[in-house]
Amino acid sequence: MLESASHLNGAPFLKDENQGLYEPSPQFENLAKVCEYSSKSNTAVAAAILYFQEWREAAHQIKKYSIANLDKLLVQFECAMKARGVEVLFAQDAAEANRLVLEIAREHNVKSVVKAKSMVTEEMELNHVLEEAGIRAIETDLGEYIVQLAKQRPIHLVTPAMHFSADEVGQLFHEKLGEPYSAEHAALTAIARKRLRAEYLAAGMGVSGCNFAVADSGTVVVVENEGNAGLSTSTPPVHVVLVGIEKIIPKIDHLPLFLNLLGRSGTGQKLTTYTHLIHGPAPGKKLYVIFLDNGRTKVLQDPHAWESLFCIRCGACLNACPVYRRVGGWSYGWVYPGPIGSVLTPHLVGLEKAGKLPFASSLCGACGEVCPVKIDLPHQLVHLRHRAVNEPSPMNSAFERLQWKLWAWAMGGPRRYGLAMWAVRIGVRMAKYLPWHPDKLGAWTRGRELPKVPSHSFRNWWQERSSQKGKN
Amino acid sequence: MSSRDVILQRIRSGLTNAVAAGFGDLREPPVPEVWPRTNPDSATLVSQFRTELESLSGESIHCPTMTDARRQLAQLMETATWPRLGSLDRPLTRELTADLPVDRVDWVTSDWTPPQIEQLPAGLITADALLADTGSCVVHCSTATERLMCYLPPVCIVVARVNQLAEHLPAAWGPISKTCAAKDSRGEIVLITGPSRTADIEKILILGVHGPKRLVVMLVG
Repeated sequence: MLESASHLNGAPFLKDENQGLYEPSPQFENLAKVCEYSSKSNTAVAAAILYFQEWREAAHQIKKYSIANLDKLLVQFECAMKARGVEVLFAQDAAEANRLVLEIAREHNVKSVVKAKSMVTEEMELNHVLEEAGIRAIETDLGEYIVQLAKQRPIHLVTPAMHFSADEVGQLFHEKLGEPYSAEHAALTAIARKRLRAEYLAAGMGVSGCNFAVADSGTVVVVENEGNAGLSTSTPPVHVVLVGIEKIIPKIDHLPLFLNLLGRSGTGQKLTTYTHLIHGPAPGKKLYVIFLDNGRTKVLQDPHAWESLFCIRCGACLNACPVYRRVGGWSYGWVYPGPIGSVLTPHLVGLEKAGKLPFASSLCGACGEVCPVKIDLPHQLVHLRHRAVNEPSPMNSAFERLQWKLWAWAMGGPRRYGLAMWAVRIGVRMAKYLPWHPDKLGAWTRGRELPKVPSHSFRNWWQERSSQKGKN
Repeated sequence: MSSRDVILQRIRSGLTNAVAAGFGDLREPPVPEVWPRTNPDSATLVSQFRTELESLSGESIHCPTMTDARRQLAQLMETATWPRLGSLDRPLTRELTADLPVDRVDWVTSDWTPPQIEQLPAGLITADALLADTGSCVVHCSTATERLMCYLPPVCIVVARVNQLAEHLPAAWGPISKTCAAKDSRGEIVLITGPSRTADIEKILILGVHGPKRLVVMLVG
């Protein structure tokens, strides 16, 4: 179920994770399988390219340059687009961006909005805001449409309804749309096509995200497979683009590189089915571009965190991540899941709310290896862990500090260490009673078996061995 | 201060810190080559394009002459039992449809509404370039009608000449880059790579989710 807005402000990771881990549902079994499959097939497509490592390095350098010149590039983009009659607007936070969209909708007397997939509008909770203002908002990407009908949140950046089976989609369409039940993929897709065709033709406004905003030419780049972004941006009289300020790239000539990377890493395609390079409004149409900050300039204050702004939202790190595969996208508590979510969310909503996320990683490094723009995700996670234990965050509580102090004390001398190990041996013997513990300790131990305690500790053994040697 | 200025101000203060920490001083990176040029002959390009497009469930028809192309188009219409065809008014589409009876071609102009275009059984458009390594069509649409012709009719027919084939995106990039940068450009350039598709339910591939169910590329020459 869709949770209230408070859920968005970085819900505690551990609260939800218990359910995903210890009472695994078939949904998550499916997710894990699909992720593994996607990861393998996409990695194979990328690895088949001789130049892939060179491309990653080049993309990394271009993104680095973009962030280092972000102010100039934003102004350059703005000038180029304004010259073609595009309105370029800026919003400091989600509330301001929502207000701007509502103003545009009211100005053009919009009754319904068709939306192409956009993570930025998830950040803004735009659908909710539009509905409250009496404007219908319809998600048109098939996965997003399913998730919207089910009143859920996307579970994945690229494939939002990855956890649904065809049977569940059939039941959903039957219940919510009154369509005859079917579990056939083609029939289900046809239902969505029929329903959404009517929406495109009736809508007064189309909303889309933007994969790349090109500064020198003033181009909005949107990639997709279904054709829904093409229809959402061309059928209604007004098109509003919502884009995070970090999506800027300097030159139109840099684009072929990024298109080659995004398709392969995102969905294992050489090029996505539709790549739209939008220059300006067609005659008789209106085009607005709204740049959203919403915490991104805070990331800029910490140069070590810059790399997290290079992300092109391909989702490769999610598919590769052993933690994401088991717990799914919602456990991360905010819009962006997976390793990149664990890095972005603490920056965007603050360590106080999301300080636990960087610890939701085994630091295996799989995410960093697959990232097409070579974000050193493991390093980013470690950097954030460092900050989380030094700045106000759930990982920096008095209890947490006490634990580490005790640990440091116990490790400080052989006698203290011996004493601590003796306590641990007793503790482990008592642990079999823990599953009855009503709180976290119970949840943690119910699904796990603790190792058996050997009759002798290493220290005992060593001492005995030494004394025997002495006798001989 | 406007939000625009506040954001630019915040960025600049962040960048000042970064320069102090040795992060901000960068030279503009060179434009990467992406793929090397091999300049294959046109027969190789045609066969590569067709293989790629067909692997994406797109259809291709290679017609050595315009007369062949006209015959193929008539046959295509007959097999699919389309009474009429909607077409954008371009020299190449005029040439291709020259043999068709007048009442079998609707010339779609900018006064056509989206519901009218949606009713067409098939839409005929032209491509500005074709990419052999991905099976893509590069289509410049400067009006809303031209854009809708790519997405609304259930079948999209693209006609192009063999000499418009480029080996890959970087090889075709010059004119695309120029159009993107031109001050008077409107609408969009769209790269179409196969028919509309989705794999959102259980990763099963289905064609024609929102856009055309069939994409037919006619290569002339």
